Amino acid sequence: MSAAVGESVVAIALRTLAVSGAALALAVAIGVPLGLALGHRRFPGRGLLVATVNAGMGLPPVVVGLLVALALWRSGPLGSLGWMYTPQAMVIAQVAIALPLVVGITLAAVGALPADFHLQVRALGVRGPRAAWLLVRETRRGLLAAVIAALGGILSEVGAVTMVGGNLEGETRVLTSGILMYTQMGRFESALALAAVLLGLTFVLAAALTAVQQSSRR
Amino acid sequence: MDDAVIAADDLVVQPAARAGGFTLRIRELALRRGEVLAILGPNGAGKTTLLRALAGLALPREGAITVHAPRGVALVFQHPLLLAGSVLWNAEVPLWARGIARRERSRRARKALARFGIDALAERDATTLSGGEARRLALARAFVAEPDVLLLDEPFDDLDVPGREVLVQDLATAIRETGIAVALVTHDLRQALLLADRIAVLSAGTLAQVGARDDVLRRPANAEVAALVGMSNWLPGRVHARDAAGLAVVEVSPGALLRSATPCVPGTDVWVGIRPEHVKIDADRSDPNTLGAATVETRVSDGALVVAWIAWHALRLRTHLLAGRGLGHTLKPGDGVFIAVRPEDVHVLPRDAAPI
Repeated sequence: MSAAVGESVVAIALRTLAVSGAALALAVAIGVPLGLALGHRRFPGRGLLVATVNAGMGLPPVVVGLLVALALWRSGPLGSLGWMYTPQAMVIAQVAIALPLVVGITLAAVGALPADFHLQVRALGVRGPRAAWLLVRETRRGLLAAVIAALGGILSEVGAVTMVGGNLEGETRVLTSGILMYTQMGRFESALALAAVLLGLTFVLAAALTAVQQSSRR
Repeated sequence: MDDAVIAADDLVVQPAARAGGFTLRIRELALRRGEVLAILGPNGAGKTTLLRALAGLALPREGAITVHAPRGVALVFQHPLLLAGSVLWNAEVPLWARGIARRERSRRARKALARFGIDALAERDATTLSGGEARRLALARAFVAEPDVLLLDEPFDDLDVPGREVLVQDLATAIRETGIAVALVTHDLRQALLLADRIAVLSAGTLAQVGARDDVLRRPANAEVAALVGMSNWLPGRVHARDAAGLAVVEVSPGALLRSATPCVPGTDVWVGIRPEHVKIDADRSDPNTLGAATVETRVSDGALVVAWIAWHALRLRTHLLAGRGLGHTLKPGDGVFIAVRPEDVHVLPRDAAPI
C-alpha cells in the first residue's frame, strides 16, 4: 500500500469493530427484552406492532440512512447534537437497521415455546428474575440467531453508514465504506485488503457465536 | 373443613379463552390432608380449569380458594414442560426456584428421581426421554420439594397400558410414603378407582357429586354420573310398595320386580341402578335374593373379565364374571340361568332428582 493512502487497515478495522460492536450491543439490549415482551404479552395493537417489526426486518438501509440524516441534519430535530458525520450517527443508523431483526427473531423464538410455558414455569414455583433467566435459557438458540443476524446486517452495511458517517478518514471510515471508496478510485489492492479483513471478521465472529449457540446443554 | 389443605367456596372461574369450555361454578369442594381425590368428568367439563384454579394459576371471578399448604402445591400438567438440559436439572428446578444450594438440590433431586426409578437417567438430556420416562420425570419433579399437595392433570394419558399400570403402582407407593394430598383429574375411571379415596364428578362446569369412592360407585347422583362410574344397568321404574321386610318393591318392566334397600316413596317414578358386578348368576338356584329365570344373550371376554348380557323379562341386564374359571368359563349364549341381586345393591333414585 502506498503512503498516500493515509489510514491503516488496522485502524479502520478497529473503528469498524467499535462502531458495530456498540450498535450490536444497543440493538440487543433494546431488542431482546422488547421481543420477549412482545412474544408473550397480549395487548391491543400488538398485531400491528408485530407487522411493523416484520416489515422493518426488510427495511432498505439506504432509507434508514436518509431518515437518520434528516433527523441529524443541522436543521433537523436532533441537529443540535452535532452528530452528523460522526461515529454516533453511524451507530444510530446501524441500530435502526438491526433492531427489527433482533426483535423479530426473538419474537419467533418465544413463539416456538409451548403455549402454556409461562403457566408451567409459574407452577414450578419459578418467579421474577429466575423466570426471566429461564425464558432466556429456553430461547437461547433463537436469541443467538438474532444476534448473528444483527451482526451480519450491521457489518455488511454500507449505504446508511456512508450517508450519515461521510467516510471521513480518521473519523468515520469503516471497512465497508473504505471498500466502496477504493473501488470507485480504482485502487483495487486496498479495496481487496479491506474486504479480506471484513470477510475474516464476519466469519470469526459468526463462528464464535455459532459455537456458543451449538454448545452442549447443561 | 378443619383438615382441608385446599378448600374452594362459591367459586366461579372463567376458562382460559383459548381453552373454551364451561364456566366453572363450584359451591364447595375440599381436598383433605392425606387423601387422594379423583376429579372425574367428560372432556370439556372444566376439570383442567378447576385444577388450575386450585393451584392458583387461574384467577377466580368470584369466590375464594383457601390453601393450608406451608410446603407448597405442585401441579403436573397434562403435557409437562421439560426444560432444555439434563434430567437432573429438570428435577432440580423447583428447588432452584427456592434458592436452594446446588449440592443440596442435586442430592434431593436424585432422591426424587430414584423414587420414580429414573435415577440412572440423571445425566441424560431431558429431550431424549421416552413418553413414560418423561412422565416419571414430571412426577419426580413434583415430589422434589416435598409439597403438601400434588395436583395431577391426566397423569397417565399418553402411556401404553403396561407403562400405566407400573406408574400407577409407583405413584400409589409415593403417595402412601409421603402422605401427600392429591387431586387427580382424569376421564379414565380405572385410574381414578386405582388411586382415589374420594371421587368428585364434574359435569358442564358444576359438581354433580362428591363422595367416598364406593359411595359414588354404588350410589351415583344421576344418570350421567352412573354412566361415568360404570353403573351400566340403569332402568326406569316405579315404586310399588314395601314388602314384609320393609324393602321397596320396584317394577322395572311389566312383571319384573326388584327389591331395594334404598328408602323410597311408593307410587313414585324412579331410576334403578345396578352395577354389573352385582348381578349374580345363581348357579345352584338357592339365592334368597333371586330374580328368577333369565337367558344368556351375549357373552364377550377380554381374558380377565367376562361381560354377559342376560335377557330378563323385557330387559337386558349386564353382568361381570371373572374369566377362565367356573361360570365365567362355561357360560354361553342361549343358556338358561337364574340371577340374583341383593337389595342393598339396587340403587333407587327419584326420577325428578336434581343434581346435588
